[in-house]
Amino acid sequence: MKTRLFAVLSFIVVLSMVITGCAPAAAPAAQATAAPAASAEVDCTKADSFCVGLVTDVGKVDDKSFNQSAYEGLKKAEKELGATIKYIETTDSKDYGKNIATFAENGYKVIVTVGFALGEATIAAAKQYPDVKFIGVDQSQTDVIPNLSGIIFDEDKSGYLAGVLAGLMTKSNKVGGVFATDTIPPVWRFGEGYRAGVKSVNDKAEINIVYHNDVGLDKTFVDPEWGKTTANSMMDKGVDVIFSAGGKTGNGGLIAVAGKSTADKPIYAIGVDADQYYSVPEAQKVLLSSAMKDITPAVFDNIKAVKDGTYKGGNFVGPVFLAPFHDLDSAVSADIKAKLDEVSKGLKDGSIKTNVAPTKPG
Amino acid sequence: MDKENLKPQEPTPPEPINDSKFINIYLVPILAVVTALILGAFIIWWVGGNPLLAYKGLLQGAFGSVRALSETTVWASPYIFAGLAVAVGFKGGLFNIGGEGQLAFGAVAASWAGYALPGIFHAQIPPILHILLSVGIGMLAGAIWGGIPGYLKAKTGAHEVINTIMMNYIALNLTSFLLNGPMKDPSPSNVIARTPLIAESARIPAIFPNYRFHWGFILALALAFGVWWLLWKTRLGFEIRTTGLNPDAAKYAGIDVAKTIVIAMSLSGALAGLAGAIEVTALNYRHELGFSSGYGFDAIAIALLGKNHPLGVVLASLLFAAMRNGATKMQFLTQIPVDIISIIQALILLFVSADAIVRYIYRIRTPQERVVYTRGWGK
Repeated sequence: MKTRLFAVLSFIVVLSMVITGCAPAAAPAAQATAAPAASAEVDCTKADSFCVGLVTDVGKVDDKSFNQSAYEGLKKAEKELGATIKYIETTDSKDYGKNIATFAENGYKVIVTVGFALGEATIAAAKQYPDVKFIGVDQSQTDVIPNLSGIIFDEDKSGYLAGVLAGLMTKSNKVGGVFATDTIPPVWRFGEGYRAGVKSVNDKAEINIVYHNDVGLDKTFVDPEWGKTTANSMMDKGVDVIFSAGGKTGNGGLIAVAGKSTADKPIYAIGVDADQYYSVPEAQKVLLSSAMKDITPAVFDNIKAVKDGTYKGGNFVGPVFLAPFHDLDSAVSADIKAKLDEVSKGLKDGSIKTNVAPTKPG
Repeated sequence: MDKENLKPQEPTPPEPINDSKFINIYLVPILAVVTALILGAFIIWWVGGNPLLAYKGLLQGAFGSVRALSETTVWASPYIFAGLAVAVGFKGGLFNIGGEGQLAFGAVAASWAGYALPGIFHAQIPPILHILLSVGIGMLAGAIWGGIPGYLKAKTGAHEVINTIMMNYIALNLTSFLLNGPMKDPSPSNVIARTPLIAESARIPAIFPNYRFHWGFILALALAFGVWWLLWKTRLGFEIRTTGLNPDAAKYAGIDVAKTIVIAMSLSGALAGLAGAIEVTALNYRHELGFSSGYGFDAIAIALLGKNHPLGVVLASLLFAAMRNGATKMQFLTQIPVDIISIIQALILLFVSADAIVRYIYRIRTPQERVVYTRGWGK
């Protein structure tokens, strides 16, 4: 009995020493979190507050993908517009409505919902809370709801730019594309835009494009092994530039290129959505660029529009462009860079058309 | 050394502990929850959150308003059904890990009955009949999916743990195929793997407008009573429990052990299938891939925490539901990861299953008779 009591007491003593010992070290961290904690005191129901909430799709706010890119937009709004920001991570799709309502009922002025899957819940919430402004990332709107702005992207233009780059960079005249399923319209637009881009600058190039259509929607974005083997078999056939797009599946392709590329026979990879130089560090040495659809500024611009009173419902077309070349900047000649600038301008002013259907026909 | 010297001096408990008293059965689970919450507070503090604010948010989010209460029951309903499913299996000495697959099949079958039956009969089906048909077909699908491993166990001795795990994969991949293929919602704008909405006549009507509280929760409570009655007041229940405690003795007493095993597993599967069917007919009105995120596995924890007693299962389900539901408000207030909830739930499970830790910390005497959960694995 006594030994046990002693053990428990000594455990408590040690624990308290650990806690107090940690305290000074933890102080900076505590201060860092103190800022949002202090802003948590802001009463969002008051008229002079500017509270912005974000609801993720099933996933985390630091997923190095959609959710994170959108949240970066909120962080920018916190810094530049003095917004009070908070997020709620969805753990189950049946909570979409509840999570949105948590913000709406606490007086939040702007609610950002991330991902196609939240589309229906966001429309329902926008109708239920007409005074709240909604921003839906990747949610194309067929009907205009005055307080719902759906952020969409011309992925075909982004893919087209990647295609131009690949078509000009290839030495073997064989380029490849590894994609998730083309039944998802953005993936289809990336893939077919890429095909059109390669053709526009290099009509002799052999284009190998494979969509991961043989599995369900729950697998097609999270199958890095398939991405790897598909990219590997392309490289075995002599392909030396691969555009790999589609969540973790695409990342698998990028990593495969990093494994096969050698100094005397370099193979290049092109990433997607965000600048994947940062999200897939394993592929940094082969990552030529990324076909970006930049969610962060699109989200920020919409939040700013609410603040400025210029916010509009309907569809908001976000910016698309190529990410910097980073480590491979010297490998891309000035001629190619000039051509990319020219194409990028042409796509913007409409003088160049990708001629890609918005969704897969049929 | 010290311990060995001390041990004999401690008086051995003279009277056996009355194991049937509520407080004695649930002392360890309650203390496990308390211990997990205390440890959880440290983890919250460690990741930079305020534990008091976090737990305040958890309570508010779970019970703080009528809507919060309503949402807690929405989470609790599938937990209760699935928890009862696992508990019935445990009572029969069977470890049903296949709840996830049985639940998914129940949901798929119920939604199929919900949207396809009117077309097959070329007629409107009266609402009550259509609801009963959908729920019944969902239960049947679960029962078959649970009954197969039961049959294999009874006839060949194949261990139900292995078979239910493997049947999970079959069920989940088959569901994925069906929802991406033949059963996919054909509306042109849809790219999500989900079934069409079920017919109005197959929907269990809401009780209160604007609240998601639904009849499934009431049915779950009624069924908890039903399972208790079945297990402790009927002959079949007695046979299931006897088989679970000692199949050899059961056989000697004239119980058809093979038949009882199949019945217990089918019953377990039916309850899990019902969890899925109710989610479809009373809440979502369709089945969507990825909706049943781990109910079948959480149910094992719930059954353990509830000591395989229906009342315990209801209480444990309410606790897990409150934590899942309150997590939103907790994160809203403190911005700490919702994974904290999973960690706390895992700690609870750890302390319940390794109850020696809890008994050691709080120095509770071990009851004389230990409950036998499963057989096999060389024990």
